[in-house]
Amino acid sequence: MATPTERLENWDEFEIGAVLKSFDENGNYSRDHSKTYKVADWRVEKPVFNRDICIDCDMCWVACPDSCFIVEEVVNKRGKKQANIVGIDYDHCKGCAVCVEVCPTPIKSLLMFPEFEDNNNALANWPKKEKKDK
Amino acid sequence: MAEKYELKTKEVWDGNTAASHALRQAQVDVVAAYPITPSTPIVQNYSSYLADGYVDGEFVMVESEHSAMSACVGASAAGGRVATATSSQGYALMVEVLYQASGMRLPIVMTVVNRALASPLNIHGDHGDLYLGRDAGWIHLIANNPQEAYDMTLCAFKIAEDEDVRLPVTTNQDGFLVSHTAQIVEPLDDETAYKFVGDYKQKNPMLDFDHPVTYGAQTEEEWHFEHKARQHKALMDSPKVIEKVFAEFKELTGREYKLVESHNMEDAEVAIVAMGSNYETAKIAADEARKAGIKAGVVCPRSFRPFPIKEMAETLKNVKAIAALDRNCPMGTIGALHNEVAGAINAFGQNAIITGYIYGLGGRDTTVAHNLEVFKDLAMNAEAGKRVTPLQKFINLRGPELSFFKVGE
Amino acid sequence: MKNIGNLKEFATTPDRFQGGHRLCPGCAHSIIVREVVNATEDDIVVSTATGCLEVCSSIYPYTSWDVSWLHIGFENAAAGISGAEAMYKALKRKGKLPVDKPAKFLAFGGDGGTYDIGFQSLSGAAERGHDFMYVCLDNEGYMNTGGQRSSATPVGAHTTTSPRGRISYGEKNWKKDLTMIMSHHGCPYVATAVPSKWKDLATKAAKGFDTEGPVFLNTLSPCTTEWKFDPADTIMISDLAVDSCVFPLYEIENGTKLTITYRPKNKIPVRDYLGAQGRFSHLFKKGNEHLIDAWQKHTDEYWEYLQRREEAGV
Repeated sequence: MATPTERLENWDEFEIGAVLKSFDENGNYSRDHSKTYKVADWRVEKPVFNRDICIDCDMCWVACPDSCFIVEEVVNKRGKKQANIVGIDYDHCKGCAVCVEVCPTPIKSLLMFPEFEDNNNALANWPKKEKKDK
Repeated sequence: MAEKYELKTKEVWDGNTAASHALRQAQVDVVAAYPITPSTPIVQNYSSYLADGYVDGEFVMVESEHSAMSACVGASAAGGRVATATSSQGYALMVEVLYQASGMRLPIVMTVVNRALASPLNIHGDHGDLYLGRDAGWIHLIANNPQEAYDMTLCAFKIAEDEDVRLPVTTNQDGFLVSHTAQIVEPLDDETAYKFVGDYKQKNPMLDFDHPVTYGAQTEEEWHFEHKARQHKALMDSPKVIEKVFAEFKELTGREYKLVESHNMEDAEVAIVAMGSNYETAKIAADEARKAGIKAGVVCPRSFRPFPIKEMAETLKNVKAIAALDRNCPMGTIGALHNEVAGAINAFGQNAIITGYIYGLGGRDTTVAHNLEVFKDLAMNAEAGKRVTPLQKFINLRGPELSFFKVGE
Repeated sequence: MKNIGNLKEFATTPDRFQGGHRLCPGCAHSIIVREVVNATEDDIVVSTATGCLEVCSSIYPYTSWDVSWLHIGFENAAAGISGAEAMYKALKRKGKLPVDKPAKFLAFGGDGGTYDIGFQSLSGAAERGHDFMYVCLDNEGYMNTGGQRSSATPVGAHTTTSPRGRISYGEKNWKKDLTMIMSHHGCPYVATAVPSKWKDLATKAAKGFDTEGPVFLNTLSPCTTEWKFDPADTIMISDLAVDSCVFPLYEIENGTKLTITYRPKNKIPVRDYLGAQGRFSHLFKKGNEHLIDAWQKHTDEYWEYLQRREEAGV
């Protein structure tokens, strides 16, 4: 629960009433927002996302307890807006693996790897679909 | 817009009526309250003002005092003027949330009608509730009669909401002796009263949706101390604002209030320090004592928190003997007011003899005669040049004399 | 009312509860919170009772909320939000807030802060008819303080104050039926929900936001830490709860119209739900079989009761 040293303030410096402000004057996340706090060091394993297999069902987005799935809003063929998964926010992912569990593709588009595994290596060694004999 | 309430220049009001009119005139946005004797009439009066169109704020009739103060916190953090009223057990139930309100620096005003705390149950006046909230981080103003109950409530909003204060304030009046005793009160008309209080100035309102704020964060060991220290400083600095508001009020009404009130203190050799209705009684006793040759005076702190340490010492600098009268059973020490006064005079190098008296618990009568007895004790101490009476005595207690730290024991 | 649509569409909603909070990995609380707050586009003020969500989302100097948020105490989330809602009404009436921009008032509490210590405050706020939605994050115990029993803890569960022991099988009482109790307060809308049935939950939340008056949403929040299951299994446990009918999904409108919103295609035995959690592992030991039978009976009877009510339209 330790506050980073540079964020500590003296008694006469902070907002009264221990009030925190979510956004700064420009409407960006303020330094009071937990977006600026990292919980990455909670992880021992990380999820790796394989864009090539993903079907954009967004189950990982809805099930992530840490709001870590970065989405891009696109308009689909039928003119409806939809969210495509573009990546994982590794600053806030705690490595719970809920996303991997809920991923529905036959070969999962999310898999857990050791924290220090290189993502490109992980993607290179992704399980392959077994070819069925006719 | 709320209807204007036609008032006479002189009304016959008890303390409850006076306080409820002050709440009405301040055009409070949200009152959340729960009835309890002896402050119930404040809540009832406010309900009837609402029913008759004299109030256009919200009135939330909650299911407990705990929820009353909680709703006040929610409403105040949302960003508007908030008030409530309570007494005794209700105050006790609120205590947890009193600390939350002050820690969040929310300028809530609470009109307290002081009453004893059970057990045994008692509905009458003493300062048990006031003392319970002593360290809760609120400003506690003292009103000794219905006029003051009215005046202090109007001033309370202006003090609480000042940008240099932003702290909750209680106004205190004695249960029944002030709350239910009708006297002549000179109110301001609605417009003048509201103009004095002024429009509410928002600070970090939750309802400013473009600037979301978080209230009630968790501060652990690396932050809590700093937050509490800052809150303490706000209380310690608040007398400047209290005096400024009192000065404006004097300008408007001619009625003068000070951090420490006094009577006959110019040449007094002995003094009673008391809060509440007994200040009025002791003033009559002091006049009587002077007829008997005792140079008696009376002192009352107008604010119990922040305690006017310097002004108290200054007022008492020429006296030889002081009696501090606590209307609360200190349960194992001398008395909070005694200790405050003793600390104040000691801090400024004064060496008047000081003794403590416990009086008026659960509404027990304390008369002019009782106060005269205290002045006689003080005269004995003053003449002897040392304490010859017990350090702590009880006034008008049935049975053999109960006292502690008798001289020579 | 926000149209929840399909997940692809729902996932375009900008989040208003963010990461960087300190809830446990795999915690269901934040999944539920996101499903709720993302179910409206209106402005929201949130009040939260003391508990896991409160502590973990507001450790000074950080907040995880993109909306105004208030924590007062353990027992007064409902009273606090009722005060904020009253201020909103007052300021609107006095012309100090725009009348055309609706705002919603939302409270979260754990089962401790809702079923137990906060019940009076919730009951009062519901009875007074404030326009707010209260969402209980029911993880069946005081998990923020290390897993003590509450009146939401079910029979046989091991908690630190109803521990299994040489002569004890854990909690002795069935959990309080708070959803029905809130329905009987005259709430215009009450419902149960689980995080795994995201559309059911978000639709109920959207409906709740859209309902004028007090709304109560009781959500089951599987607790990886104190129910003793792997963090990755949060959604799976949530599914087992509804597929076994241990935690049936339904809604009640105006206290009278009960609708079951999810019927498992294949109702699974309760033992599958119990067996997936460490807090019930002792029930599978010799001598405790009767408890699993009792669980099954209790669950079946309640499921029957709900179906009878739905059929009768009451």
